[in-house]
Amino acid sequence: MNFIKISILLSILFISINIINAQDAASLLHDMDEIIAAPKDKEAAVIMIITDKTGKEKKREASLKQKGKFKKLYRYTGPEKQAGIATLSLPDDAIWLYMPAFGKAVRINLLSKSQAFTGTDFSHEDMSGIPYLERYEPKFINSIHPEHYVIELIPKSKKSKYTKIVLTLNKTVHYPLKMEYFDKTNKHFKTATYAYEKKEGYWYAKEVFMTNLNKKHSTKIILTDVKFDQGINDDEFLVENLKQ
Amino acid sequence: MASTLFFGNQVSQLKIDADILRSLPDDDPDATLLKSIGKTFGGNNMGVIILETDNIYQTSVLEHVQALTDTVTNIEGISSVSSLSNIINIKGGDYGIEVGKLVDEYDMPTTSEDFQELRNKILANEMYKGSIVSEDETSTLIIFTLEEDTDVNVVAKQIINKTEALQLPEKLYYIGSPMLVTYISDLMKRDLTKLLPISFLVIALVLFLSFRSISGVLLPLLTAVISIIWSLGMMAFLDYNMSMISNNIPIILLAVGSAYTIHVINRINQVKKIEHSNVVSTAMSYVIIPVILAAVTTIIGFISFIFGAYLEMIVDFGIFTALGTFFACLLSIFFVPVIMDLFKSEKKKVIKQKKQPLLTTKILQPLTTALFKNSKAIFIFWMLLLGISLFGMFSINRSVDIQEYFKKDNPTRLAENIMVEKFGGTKPVFVLFKGDMQNPEVLKKMIQTSEFMKESPDINSAMSVAKLISEMNYAITGSREIPDSQEKIEQLWFLLEGNEVMNRFVNEELNEGIIISKFKSPDNKSKKVFAKKMKDFIRENSTKQCQISITGMPFVDITMDNSLVKSQIGSITIAILFVIIFVGFILRSLRGGIYTSIPIVAAIFILFGVMGLTGISLNIATVLVASVALGIGIDYSIHIYTHFNESFKKTKDLQKAIEESIQISGKAIIINVVSVSAGFMVLIFSEMVPLQYFGILIAISMLSSCLGALTLLPAILILMNRKKQLQ
Repeated sequence: MNFIKISILLSILFISINIINAQDAASLLHDMDEIIAAPKDKEAAVIMIITDKTGKEKKREASLKQKGKFKKLYRYTGPEKQAGIATLSLPDDAIWLYMPAFGKAVRINLLSKSQAFTGTDFSHEDMSGIPYLERYEPKFINSIHPEHYVIELIPKSKKSKYTKIVLTLNKTVHYPLKMEYFDKTNKHFKTATYAYEKKEGYWYAKEVFMTNLNKKHSTKIILTDVKFDQGINDDEFLVENLKQ
Repeated sequence: MASTLFFGNQVSQLKIDADILRSLPDDDPDATLLKSIGKTFGGNNMGVIILETDNIYQTSVLEHVQALTDTVTNIEGISSVSSLSNIINIKGGDYGIEVGKLVDEYDMPTTSEDFQELRNKILANEMYKGSIVSEDETSTLIIFTLEEDTDVNVVAKQIINKTEALQLPEKLYYIGSPMLVTYISDLMKRDLTKLLPISFLVIALVLFLSFRSISGVLLPLLTAVISIIWSLGMMAFLDYNMSMISNNIPIILLAVGSAYTIHVINRINQVKKIEHSNVVSTAMSYVIIPVILAAVTTIIGFISFIFGAYLEMIVDFGIFTALGTFFACLLSIFFVPVIMDLFKSEKKKVIKQKKQPLLTTKILQPLTTALFKNSKAIFIFWMLLLGISLFGMFSINRSVDIQEYFKKDNPTRLAENIMVEKFGGTKPVFVLFKGDMQNPEVLKKMIQTSEFMKESPDINSAMSVAKLISEMNYAITGSREIPDSQEKIEQLWFLLEGNEVMNRFVNEELNEGIIISKFKSPDNKSKKVFAKKMKDFIRENSTKQCQISITGMPFVDITMDNSLVKSQIGSITIAILFVIIFVGFILRSLRGGIYTSIPIVAAIFILFGVMGLTGISLNIATVLVASVALGIGIDYSIHIYTHFNESFKKTKDLQKAIEESIQISGKAIIINVVSVSAGFMVLIFSEMVPLQYFGILIAISMLSSCLGALTLLPAILILMNRKKQLQ
């Protein structure tokens, strides 16, 4: 009899822990989304270093302007051949590409978000401004480590290239430390590591390093001269203003 | 024992390499360029899965293509996969450009309208039509590239196993260099494990029937086996791989290597009948020179491949077979006599010589009588035979098509047929451009070259980065022209960056780019016409800023085809000359050298006559037959001539000298011919067609050189010496 009681108690306890954990995971992910989207706007100089499997590096430089979650403008400044090219991301997955030599902006309709973002190891899904909590179902895995939590993210959309993302989250500030991406066969194939820094009261990823384990290819994105809440005008994100 | 153990251990590490590309010589500019393009652009590591069904425009079929693509993508060692389910699609419209996949894996077409739209997209673009989807809509390709330095066999097998495990209702075929190489390796392994034991048993049976003794069976086989182990062990030790030609070495050495011991045993048995002491040393004093002569001439036959052979694997084959022959000869004169001497008492127990005289009384004695009676008639008969052969020789076909290696119902051959009929063939053609790949003039020249290539009936499509840029320009501006400004090209390039397809078209430094195309016809004349047209075009259009060169399998095939005849004539001439000089030098008579080579020259005439009259083509395997046959077949004449010479000098009696050489050496020759031919005839069961012909042709050559040594040579000797005696 005692055994039955203990079993029932343990089951209730287990279920409640799971419920608590689910809630915890969701609130932690929500916190992370809040940190990412905290500034009203952001300006920075971006350096992208793309390394292929032979170790050869390609460097790309751009200026970044971001307002809210969904308005993002990259203007490429280097290499010289690509200087002046701009990509503008707007809400509803609208991406515009401006090519100065053609003197016009063209809208790029991406049929698949799993495509690489301009030759990097990030996919358009990785660069999306939509909060993680809206896109993924979080599941708490553990908090064994004194400094971080481990949460599993299951994509809500069937169109995702991933079956899951294993997120490692800082315990005190709740910013991401690492994301491990798993493909359709449940094989870990990509890892992103983040180096967060606090500036002007905001936490931001100063460096993101994405490695594609299959292709032995990696991309490092470094942000410098970061400025927050500069009051960037909405006009900066108008397609017609892409031509400077 | 120690050497055999050492080399035996080495043999276990011998690697099989069936890649014909690696065997192409470095001094042929077409082959070198092909290899270097393969390395820079990964073209030689490309494999294809063909999915065949009644109609590919069905959701289930597209889902299966998707499943195959995912399965192959996830195999370790695969660097890229391209199929209907993931191929890039760039489309222009009022809204801008649409960059995506031709088929959205998450939103597959389901209605007939969806499929009509997909069909229209495919038909409108040569990147898809006839390249990834067949025009009759029954087949589609999943094209994959293997990473550099990956184990091709392991990856190819995983591809077959994992895709077959999906148990799709559609038919799957596998083709392309990695699959072909793996398939040939498998056939080679199967051949070795199946044919070698059969060959061993057949030769053992012939030897038993001939000698009726255990030593008569064991010693020839033992020397052959040891020489096989030593030569293959040496091959592994020196870091050579087993090719689809050297795959024959064990069977050849089994047949050739046993021959010297057969002559040694035969002579020892013969001497034993007359003398009772010093049997072995007396017999060896008679047989050592002909055995060495026979071995050296055989070695010359194999070594002759070094001169004039186009493929390195043929040269390797020549070297290691020659080495094996050398080992077999060493063993037969140093190892066999010792064993015979050690076990001489035991031998008597097993000897059961009842049937031995049968060969002598029923064949050799009547033959000797006939030779004396009808020497002129025999000579005339041979002349007639050679006349017919000469006639046949002029209709020999040549073939360098690797597909001829497979039997007609072989899946690889069926896959090749589908590729030729529906996807413009499998033979890659590459045009290399050296210059600034973002320069409008270079890209325009690429487009112009592609258009010129497509004028040939054997070229269906020609893809390049210029084509991609023109498609992108079309999507943005509505014009398919290459933009005039370099700036525009550089900015269009931005959209393509990071796309895997780019590595197939341009190098990292963007100073080299290629046009990738396929040549349809296996016919050599078409290849020559195309090659001439292209080389003229390139001569007129290549500039300092834009250097153009062309290569591909059709070009290598042309050189290989030319080299077949050249190397055939070269190796035979070298072998015959060396044999005449060497035999003449050892026998101290140039006439002796010439006489001994007459039967083998006749046998080679017959060989080519048979090939011409029966339609067996001269290819990379059958090109070896003449020299191998020369090397082995000359032995018979050497044995007859040296025996005759010795006996004639001693007795001055022409009849006795002929009788003795036919009845003693002739017997060993017949045993040898039967065992060697039987050993080679086992190749009929080979999985590879040219090897089947190789076996048959060697057996025919053995038989004709034996007949030549036993009839033509004695007839000439009788006619020449009778005259002398009369004078």
